[in-house]
Amino acid sequence: MPPLKDEVARLPPAALAEAERMARQDGKLSAALAHPLERRRILTLLASGAIAGPLGRCDPGAADRHLYSAAEAPEGIVPGRTERFATAHLLEGHARGIVVTHRMGRPLKVEGNPGHPASLGGTDPFAQAALFDLYDPDRASGPLQGGEPVAPARVATMFAALRADLAASRGRGFRILTEPLTSPSLGRMLDTVLARWPEARWHQHAPLPRSAAFAGAMAAYGKPLSVLPNPAAADVILGLDSDLLDAWPWQLPAARGFASRRNPVRAPMSRVYAIEPTPSLLGLQADHRFAVGSVELHRIAGLLAAGLLQGAVPADGPPWLVPLLSDLKDHHGRALVHVGPHQPAALHALCHAMNAALGAPGNTLTLCAPALHHPVDPGTDLRDLVEDMAAGKVETLLVLGGNPCFIAPDFLAALGRVRRAIAACDAPNETALACGWYVPLAHAMEAWSDARALDGTAGICQPQLRPLYAGQNPLSVLGQCLEAVPDSRAWLRATWRDRLPDDRAWQAALAAGVIAGTTFPTLAATLRPAAASTGMAGTGMAGTGTAGASPGLDVSFRADARLGDGQYANNPWLQELPDPLTKTAWDNPLRLPPRLAGRLHARDGDLVTLGIGDRRVTLPCWIVPGQAEGCVVATLGQGRRTGSTARGVGTDLYPLRLARGAVDIRRVGGRREVACTMGQAEMTAEAGDILRRIDLSDFQAGARPDHVGGDGSLYHRAPPGPAAWAMSIDLNACIGCNACVTACQVENNIPVVGREEVLRGRVMHWIRIDRYETGSFSAFQPVLCMQCEQAPCETVCPVGATVHDAEGLNGMVYNRCVGTRFCSNNCPYKVRRFNYFAFAAEERRPPASRNPDVTVRGRGVMEKCSFCLQRIAAARVAHDRDGVPEHAETACQAACPTRAISFGDLNDAQAEVRARKRSPLDYALLPEQNTRPRVTYEARVSNRNPAAGT
Amino acid sequence: MAAIFGPEANLGARLVLLAMAGMATLLVGGWIVLPRTDWLTGRGFPIQQPVPFSHQHHVAGLGLDCRFCHATVETSANAGLPPGYTCMTCHSQVWTQAAVLAPVRQSLLQHRAIAWNRVTNLPDYVYFDHSIHVARGVACESCHGRVDRTALLDKQHSLSMGFCLDCHRNPAPRLRPPDAVFAMGWQRGPATPSPQALMRLYHVGDRNLTDCTLCHR
Repeated sequence: MPPLKDEVARLPPAALAEAERMARQDGKLSAALAHPLERRRILTLLASGAIAGPLGRCDPGAADRHLYSAAEAPEGIVPGRTERFATAHLLEGHARGIVVTHRMGRPLKVEGNPGHPASLGGTDPFAQAALFDLYDPDRASGPLQGGEPVAPARVATMFAALRADLAASRGRGFRILTEPLTSPSLGRMLDTVLARWPEARWHQHAPLPRSAAFAGAMAAYGKPLSVLPNPAAADVILGLDSDLLDAWPWQLPAARGFASRRNPVRAPMSRVYAIEPTPSLLGLQADHRFAVGSVELHRIAGLLAAGLLQGAVPADGPPWLVPLLSDLKDHHGRALVHVGPHQPAALHALCHAMNAALGAPGNTLTLCAPALHHPVDPGTDLRDLVEDMAAGKVETLLVLGGNPCFIAPDFLAALGRVRRAIAACDAPNETALACGWYVPLAHAMEAWSDARALDGTAGICQPQLRPLYAGQNPLSVLGQCLEAVPDSRAWLRATWRDRLPDDRAWQAALAAGVIAGTTFPTLAATLRPAAASTGMAGTGMAGTGTAGASPGLDVSFRADARLGDGQYANNPWLQELPDPLTKTAWDNPLRLPPRLAGRLHARDGDLVTLGIGDRRVTLPCWIVPGQAEGCVVATLGQGRRTGSTARGVGTDLYPLRLARGAVDIRRVGGRREVACTMGQAEMTAEAGDILRRIDLSDFQAGARPDHVGGDGSLYHRAPPGPAAWAMSIDLNACIGCNACVTACQVENNIPVVGREEVLRGRVMHWIRIDRYETGSFSAFQPVLCMQCEQAPCETVCPVGATVHDAEGLNGMVYNRCVGTRFCSNNCPYKVRRFNYFAFAAEERRPPASRNPDVTVRGRGVMEKCSFCLQRIAAARVAHDRDGVPEHAETACQAACPTRAISFGDLNDAQAEVRARKRSPLDYALLPEQNTRPRVTYEARVSNRNPAAGT
Repeated sequence: MAAIFGPEANLGARLVLLAMAGMATLLVGGWIVLPRTDWLTGRGFPIQQPVPFSHQHHVAGLGLDCRFCHATVETSANAGLPPGYTCMTCHSQVWTQAAVLAPVRQSLLQHRAIAWNRVTNLPDYVYFDHSIHVARGVACESCHGRVDRTALLDKQHSLSMGFCLDCHRNPAPRLRPPDAVFAMGWQRGPATPSPQALMRLYHVGDRNLTDCTLCHR
């Protein structure tokens, strides 16, 4: 039997040339032509598919046909209803309040805590995805000694021996290594341990330390302090490589404040400038974004500072600098300058000086004492420890949390000289396996703890369930340096004895998630006179995370927007989340600016070797338009060596970070395809029709996004039901943070498909965030099922598996679906997702972690956004049964930190969505299709400064 | 020219026709009739339980209300199973040493759940809510049957989608006044409000009860 490719070879030459031309254009076709399948084998596969298909669809039913009645009913738990408990999710040690929803004692969903100042009801993808880490079976290993499992009693014996040694040596040679922490109780425990064993030392390390911000504040104010930006009060915002909207401890309130001033229908619109080497989330929202390299950025910052502080007119700056400067000056007290952590301390000091000159403190930003317990520069602190370890001064090392062996290769090298290394980590990670002892830590949702937000507001973190895998509370691990059986909860109560004296106050604090009156007062700090001059003198120096001295090539090491510093790398939800900027998943390609890539003749996915000094790493590259010439961005966090999901994914770039020397990039032969979701769901219309954009001046002059179509149909039916569910998405507020995507994934039991399937365009997310870019303009557009009133998918389904209901919902009846995929082909918005394999059955999380209110879809079934039908059903029942208002909130809406998504009943006069649909910016996607979508958008408005050019 | 088919071919043709008819019968039987039989719907087969609990004795004999044990039926999607503690409110006084109650006593002593065998089991893709049905005047008896007459419980209705739709398409004659929802063997009397009055009382006509999305998600 001749192989298929021989058939191709026998084509006439002209047809062959045509086929080759097509193959070049279409990678999929060439892959298909090159495939070595024979016809007989194809027929065999087809036949076995025809037989296996229906068999695979037979539902064996629940194997367990039992009902369990409790011996004693747990207090407050009603089977079939949900309970909610407040706690906090930590980012860089700082709390962001969350509320965890339970069913029958199982935590199943995370929402923001509206009463917590660092959440305001919003969440980020990390908090949403934390549930996977909680249930992660990788954590189930139990304690290890030298990599071998040991009985938990041996850990207690080891701690007893440690206490005996400490008593003999007063703590000499005993070191504790933690990440920066805000927990008052853990801090008190550390202080107690250090007081009891006075020669012991505590070190802090952070994978991506905010050393520059720390040093900048020291230079400007003479003491460490935190800056709380308040963009809601700012008319003009200038971001200098700013991370205002990226993941940092004050991201959620900053994003809320930012978005509150970006829609001219609801509030006077702010103007945002961003000057940065690589696009940040703030830069992608900016009205003016200028891509400049680090050196030029420092020069421009110096010119800006000279203009603001000394009134100098910048002579040799870019043409937009003077208009920008006068815009800032014209908004004294209503302007904000924000600088990101990758910039040097001098720039931070300068930024403090500029903000002071602009009257920002007290208006557009607040200064307060740092919430961290004993803030130090974590970079130097770790270096000290590593030096002592290498010098043999460290007898016993207790690593409490974090993964220093992964983030600091020199730490790993020095670890061999430590006699007794104990790693207390939340999973058997690189550090756990490198240290002699591994003590499993409880997940943050399993342990009593407390934490402060960036503004100092403290809250108790209560355990949501007993430890699933017998992990220990960090407090009790540390407490075992003092006594045999510490009681974490009692320790916590003792810490808060003054503020929460009785059970009533304690319960109230638990329920609220915050302890009233703990917010730090505003700091009235006075700027040192020398701040500006030192800043201006020092802006030329290299920043943190900047390596190499080669002119014109600057490598910036940044945290992966989805994986943090690598701590979330074992979370498949976050691995499969498309990066906000590049929309790549499951990999961390080196981000190159277009011209550099052109010089290297590199395309997306081509392998390049990045060398710094004598170290080199080979990884695929990715071209990022809008990245400054000469700026190369390396994302950290991938390339983990442990973890069922993380192992072998992406490339570890931490080893390069410590290298010093000349930077060198060259293309090596070969490619590694990078899974990217951009362009996988293309809508057939001009991009300008899909994402509508309007200038503020035009809008004020009366221009509106066109309303096309809508009522052009002779056959019109409106769903008659009592409720009319609809959604409005404000494109001015969407910052592309991905919280909605993850929230939807958790809520709706959406499976992860893996890198290979993402490459084939089979990602399952029900809501995707499209990104559009023209020149310096960029915008995000969340696209989910439009719930069309006249849905094209319904008319083509041969089995009636997708049908409309009376309330306007386009429903999927999974059990009717036979998998023809006609609906998906006929959907103009490309929002339907097909289970090509039994993705859900292959997930490695326990079934108990799934949402019991949502069907788990099997192989061969189409699925798509249901407007969180389970939440609507709950609201419907509550209304009909108890007479409460029929109020439902979708998972994406609840998670959104900026309230970009509004959802509700159009028939409810009070519904916010009704008001938003009447916004003059309201428009429907692809109106010419006449689908009458229930989801509409508010067009993106640009508030451009005509003097500043493009 | 010789005939293509000999006389014996007639037999073959008849056999083929017979086989086709037989297959059609099997198909109709297997696809349409078989799923409706009690054998597959499980109707009328008493289910063995770890404790031979008699609804007949407790409901008809002692007059316990359904809600005494199924306490969350009015507030939650799940009707709820009584914890062993509830059993012991009485059985710590009566039948304290009965051998049949040993599993209940053991359950309380050892804090272990009792594994009851399911009598009614809806498919996983059906989301039934007890509370709204009870609040809308659908009686326990309508789906669970006369539990006051069965010692060891069995499934008394098929609980197939057709069974649900019979009522969802025409709820009026099946609604009961609020005080009769938990009653067994209730009959419409002269004082009973008319079906239409009950429909208005419960606002049942407000929603389209045959939407797929009402029960499937």
